[in-house]
Amino acid sequence: MSPLAGRRSLGRLSLAPWTYGFVVALAMWIATTAYAGLGSAGATAASALAFGAFSVVVGTGQMLVIASGPGNIDLSVPSVLTLAAYVAMAVMHGSDGLILPGLAAALAVGAVAGALNYLAITALRLPPIIATLAWSFVFQSFAYNFGGDATLKPPAVLSSFTALRIGDVQVMPLAVMVLTGVAVVLLRRTLFGRRLLATGQSERAANLAGVRVGRVRLLAYMLCGTAAALTGFLLSGFTGGASLNMGDAYLMESIAVVVLGGTSVAGGQANAVGIWGAALFFNLMATMLNTFHFQAGVRFLLTGTLIILIVAIVPRPRAV
Amino acid sequence: MAQLRTSVGSTALGALLLAGTAMMPAGARAADGLAKGDTSDKTIAFSNSYAGNSFRQVMIKSFEEAGAQAAKDHVIKGTTVVSANNSVTEQAAQMQNLILQGYSAIIVLAGSDTALNGVVKDACDAGIVVVAFASGVTEPCAYRVDYDLDSYGKAELDYLAGRIGDKSANLLEIRGAAGDGFDKRLHAGVEKAMKDHPSYKIANEVYGAWTAAVAQKEVSGVLPSLPKIDGVLTQGGDGYGAAMAFESAGRPLPVIIMGNRQDELALWKKQHQANGYETMSLGATPSVSQVAFWVAQQILAGKKVPKFVEVPLLRIDQPDLDAWLAKVPEGGVVNATYDQKLAGDIIDANIDHKPLPGVPAPK
Repeated sequence: MSPLAGRRSLGRLSLAPWTYGFVVALAMWIATTAYAGLGSAGATAASALAFGAFSVVVGTGQMLVIASGPGNIDLSVPSVLTLAAYVAMAVMHGSDGLILPGLAAALAVGAVAGALNYLAITALRLPPIIATLAWSFVFQSFAYNFGGDATLKPPAVLSSFTALRIGDVQVMPLAVMVLTGVAVVLLRRTLFGRRLLATGQSERAANLAGVRVGRVRLLAYMLCGTAAALTGFLLSGFTGGASLNMGDAYLMESIAVVVLGGTSVAGGQANAVGIWGAALFFNLMATMLNTFHFQAGVRFLLTGTLIILIVAIVPRPRAV
Repeated sequence: MAQLRTSVGSTALGALLLAGTAMMPAGARAADGLAKGDTSDKTIAFSNSYAGNSFRQVMIKSFEEAGAQAAKDHVIKGTTVVSANNSVTEQAAQMQNLILQGYSAIIVLAGSDTALNGVVKDACDAGIVVVAFASGVTEPCAYRVDYDLDSYGKAELDYLAGRIGDKSANLLEIRGAAGDGFDKRLHAGVEKAMKDHPSYKIANEVYGAWTAAVAQKEVSGVLPSLPKIDGVLTQGGDGYGAAMAFESAGRPLPVIIMGNRQDELALWKKQHQANGYETMSLGATPSVSQVAFWVAQQILAGKKVPKFVEVPLLRIDQPDLDAWLAKVPEGGVVNATYDQKLAGDIIDANIDHKPLPGVPAPK
């Protein structure tokens, strides 16, 4: 967790858990390049970075929720993402001048969705798994009725921003890296971050120490919804519009990148940087299996096996 | 020579028709137009496996519109739609409910070729007309309304052959979802058609889930490893994403077979104006639900309908591009209205083994 801990484990010739994603991603990148030729290396990495960035944004939100305590999880991520994208596209109506109001609308949808999730959990005493899943049906229905029979198109400026390159550097993944930096600072240096981890480690102890546990969790869920909404906003710019099933891929992925990234499912411990490694791993694995011409069945088999293997190999922090 | 071929062709066709007539019991299956039996007290339900994409949303709307109009005209009493969330057990339970509620006919877009056979049989045994459409149901008591996906694959490759010729070419195939029945049948059609084009090689295949965003991601991933791609075979809904992937990789746009989505047609038009880009667009129409609706109505009205009714695919070529593009809603899917008469013509063409009536381009 701290730089010191990293150095200590290096001394024992083992790596910190969050680095595993990066290591495996690198191995897959090399394998793909070896198969397809050196010329493909840059383009393969660029595509993994671009699509990985979306997984990172959703994953960062999910990380905050998961870190807030055992059992906390947000399964409404895909539908919040979709609904926010629809609302934003409807607000902007393809007009470049309305991008900021569109972004604001998307983020507001995400924040409200997160608040509703937490409200159902605390007021109705539902397990987070049930509460967020139930809300996800509601949000998805809203999206159906928000023009679900068409793909709503993004303004041209948003599309060109998400695909923008300065020289050989893609701007959007870079912006998401900055966001990861913000998340790191948030977790390590801010009151909210410390309270969140304290709440996740022991709700009772945090409560006794004067942390308003409910408020911390509420904020975590709202930030998670906001992150999903931001992903929906950017993704619809990148892929040419909001469509009903755009969020489907992000249910499993948002959770998997968090866990593979070194965040404890039991809560109380989070790693924002590791999410990047896991997201790159996921994207490069898909690329590698496609490039190797594996049958669909074999691809699924290998994907599942690799995830299980890596999670099993990664050393877990000993129980406190 | 041409003369000879024509006459041979027409003789063969005549013989085929004769053979066809000879096999059928006299009159029972003649193409006799619309059946006029009274169906004003009948109810038709639509059991849908999934509603979570725009294509299915339009499909539901098309069915509801046809049903509402038919109810207004006292052709039938009423309709209903139930959608399962991509779960066949849920769909089976919903169909059981429809049986209990006593619907006269159920049209079903099945989530599985085999998993609904039990409940379909139950419905048939209860005297309910079951019409499975745009999906396979292997239970023989059900009528099927579907596309010929062999001809889908063949049309894609024939078009590419017309553009590329006999020289060797690399193709990329974008498939739907692994294990899906539609995907399997269309892929089989592509494989069959590929045999006629030995100089073509499918350099790789990816699964695009009929969704622009997924197709873009998958194609972007494999593109760096691929040689120059001359053509892209698609299944509908994935052409725009493929084009975005080629564009962001800085590669020239190959001939991408489009799938009747507005964004695909708009991109095609833009490219055509910029550099003379040409392709064609082929696809299923969401309003196939209307064909299934009218087939069910006609069976209830007493028409002898064959167990398999083939419906035409909607094809757009360069000359009709502007007309279709003007008609399709922004971000939507090209659709066409199948009224009772057109559905009757489709049934009759199937009975007579005649070419299916095409969907005319809008004026």
